[in-house]
Amino acid sequence: MAELILTNLLRRFGPVIAVNGISLTVADGEFVSLLGPSGCGKSTTLAAIAGLDRPDGGRIQLGPHTFYDSDSGLFVPPERRNCGLVFQSYALWPHMTVRQNVAFPLDLRKIKGAEAQRRIEEVLSLVEMVSFTDRYPHQLSGGQQQRVALARTLVYQPELLLLDEPLSNLDAKLRDRARAWLAELRHRLKLTTIYVTHDQIEALALSDRVVVMNGGNIAQIGTPQEIYEDPADPFVADFIGTMNFLKGEAEADAAGGATARMRLPDGGVVQARAHGPLRRGDRLTLALRPEQLRVGSEAAGAGGTSVSAKVVTSAYVGGAYQVAYATAGGTMRLDQPMPPDGEVTTLWVPDDGGILFRETT
Amino acid sequence: MRAVSTGRGREAPIQYGLALLTVVLVAAPLIPILYQAVIDRPLYDSGQQFTLNNFVELAGTGEFITVLINTFLFAIATTVIAQVLGTGAAVLIGRTDMPYARLIGEMFLWPIYVSALILSFGWYAMYGPSGYLTLLLSPVFEESPWDLYTLTGMAVMAGVSLAPVAFLYCTASAGIADPALEEAARVSGAGTMRTLVRITLPLLKPAIFYSAVLNFTVALELLSIPLVFGGPANIEVLSTFLLRNVIGVRQSGQGTVATAAVFLLVIVCVLVWLQARLLGNTRRYETLGGKATRPRPFALNALRIPAFLLACTYLLFAVMLPLGTLILRAFTSFLSPLVPVSEVLTFDNFTGLLAFDVAHRSIVNSFLISIIGGALATLLVASIAIVCHRSEFPFRKALQYIALFPRAVPGVVAGLGFFYALTMIPGIGGIRNTIWIMIIAFTMHLIPAGFGAVAPILLQISPDLDRAARVKGADWLTTSRRIVLPLMKPALVACYTILFIAFFKEYSTAMFLFAPGSEVIGTTQLNLWTGGEMGQAAALAAIQIAVIGTCVGVARTVFGVRLYG
Repeated sequence: MAELILTNLLRRFGPVIAVNGISLTVADGEFVSLLGPSGCGKSTTLAAIAGLDRPDGGRIQLGPHTFYDSDSGLFVPPERRNCGLVFQSYALWPHMTVRQNVAFPLDLRKIKGAEAQRRIEEVLSLVEMVSFTDRYPHQLSGGQQQRVALARTLVYQPELLLLDEPLSNLDAKLRDRARAWLAELRHRLKLTTIYVTHDQIEALALSDRVVVMNGGNIAQIGTPQEIYEDPADPFVADFIGTMNFLKGEAEADAAGGATARMRLPDGGVVQARAHGPLRRGDRLTLALRPEQLRVGSEAAGAGGTSVSAKVVTSAYVGGAYQVAYATAGGTMRLDQPMPPDGEVTTLWVPDDGGILFRETT
Repeated sequence: MRAVSTGRGREAPIQYGLALLTVVLVAAPLIPILYQAVIDRPLYDSGQQFTLNNFVELAGTGEFITVLINTFLFAIATTVIAQVLGTGAAVLIGRTDMPYARLIGEMFLWPIYVSALILSFGWYAMYGPSGYLTLLLSPVFEESPWDLYTLTGMAVMAGVSLAPVAFLYCTASAGIADPALEEAARVSGAGTMRTLVRITLPLLKPAIFYSAVLNFTVALELLSIPLVFGGPANIEVLSTFLLRNVIGVRQSGQGTVATAAVFLLVIVCVLVWLQARLLGNTRRYETLGGKATRPRPFALNALRIPAFLLACTYLLFAVMLPLGTLILRAFTSFLSPLVPVSEVLTFDNFTGLLAFDVAHRSIVNSFLISIIGGALATLLVASIAIVCHRSEFPFRKALQYIALFPRAVPGVVAGLGFFYALTMIPGIGGIRNTIWIMIIAFTMHLIPAGFGAVAPILLQISPDLDRAARVKGADWLTTSRRIVLPLMKPALVACYTILFIAFFKEYSTAMFLFAPGSEVIGTTQLNLWTGGEMGQAAALAAIQIAVIGTCVGVARTVFGVRLYG
């Protein structure tokens, strides 16, 4: 019913292209995160969907309604889109109490009296804020403000829920709790939701699908598993989770998806799945998750290769040691339960763990 | 469920209407003057021909050259005095351990609240030829050691009246706000004086220079002091030249008068442009107020008490005694050191005012103009500010420019312009006998003052708050009414107070416009003064001081609004 379709969405700020003609379809009831570093265009995309910013080209549709169409010059103002947007700053109106904040959107829709009362009670109990109805925003903690902001958005039953880094203003502990609460809430609401964040853990934990953005383009769209386990390029690989990169060159031609061999500068050879077709002599990058590596020759097993490594730094980070090893192909970082035993050791690289990307010049 | 639409695009007529109103208001006085300057006969005569003769004629008048020289000498001297006083006070009050610095700083600002007209009356009552102190010292000196009826005397009075502006800008500038810069100098071995000369004052340079341009502009167009003291001494400046020639009904001279007004307008425009450039180079908006903790002040040591006495002496003789004497004069029939005050105490001046219907009417008018006009102007300014800063109105930049343009229009020029406009447009002459002409003219003249109070606070309100309302289904008008306006309440209170006070003491615009029925306190004051009714003029001044003092006090204590920093 409320399916969101972006087609070739384009937004420029002077010479800078903030959103470079992206297309995206979000299914009804789907929870999709826009993830990326600051300046990647995720917030601009969100503002365009909400109607706060007018794009320079493309089309935005929600269900049967077209919000924006550059061909016909159609631009629906934000107040006529019936979207719900929770701001990063919450944007609670400081001159209104919690109840007045929540009642305002109902008032605009001429919903008054008992029906308004019922809805306000319902939404405030949903966010567990019933006992704070007569407080002013400045009398609430950050987490409480965030809940009120969400209640104010849910009360008028928007067709599309837009969340702009709603957890980023909370401290670390509160953020974990709020994330768990949000994850539970989303299963109850089943609203089509766009969630903008630069925090990969939030994106992976909450989303049906994640859209990774980079420099105004979509780098990859996929489920959290796909994004994590099969990144489309080194940028995505690096951005999601912790990733180690080894550099070398292709020993032989290989088809995309096939196992290929990469020669390290010191002559050592490692194996991994090629992301795309490779030619002999191509400069390659091997992306490896730290948890796939094993330290020391005794830990090595079949189906992998050992490369020699030297300890560069070691730091105790509480419960584990974060150690950086220099290898011929580059520095590898990983967490291990025990401090490194000696300066020189080997790292075991499994054949089926990493992904080989061809370096683009 | 779709958002309930409350009419599509209803903001457009409002925004365009507001922009049109602003354009008409600002252009109304300017176009007649510009037009009059290039035609060969008065605006209201038929058969007008375009000509540049007015410029030739004006330039050829020796009288005008003298007027120009006087104007610039007066403005330069005033600016120098104001900057020296203001900067000195800023350093002493803001950066040293002088006792009671805060209190002295508050009192240093007093002249900014009352008009220069009132301050000059006070100086007259104290230092005039028959002033209290002049008479007191007459046994000692054969001839009075001072003479207010000179360019220097006038410049001293104007300088005292404008010193608070220099003081405010210097106090707010980084030179005083950031103690780390001075502390760094002291740590590297600079003593108190060296730090002051090498670090503090150079850091204040932008603030001093900017406020100097500001004060120079005000001095150029100042009417009150030249009118009260220059007139009898035959020292004419541009503003009094304009007033004499327009009111003096020299029919043939209207062209040259308008040309002189255009001349003043152009100079002030250039200066205002220069101000904008300077401000652009330093900071967009000065944040008055500064940090909560005062930086570690310079130790004056042995100079602590002398500095305190110096500051007290200045305040006493420049501000408090003149104003005190003026108020005392309002309650006496006669004031002289030779007669004990107790024998001359009386309320006659006030009862006389009430009996004199013009004075009575002007008091009522001033109140009505300030209460109603101030409210209307606040509404207008707030609407303009919201459209300029919180709408997608395509011409919002241009609107802001036009709304702020009256900064470059001196009060006398605005008054003259509205005067011409009334003669030009048939059938509206009757408005001259109502308070509405004053409300319109004052509003035009003071839009920038109100805008300055509203815009910075509006910019501090997070745009997310109105975006949130838009997304939740409120259109621009509802958002402005329900979210932005309530959040602007402190700004509106400040704006209304500033405009109320400004309307209440405005006279330069009114001097060209007032007619039976539209007199205001300022115009009546000047008329009483020139008619020799010192006591009643002082009584009116006392009323003005009381009303303004109450406003400032109420705004500060009840609403917590601090006017002027």
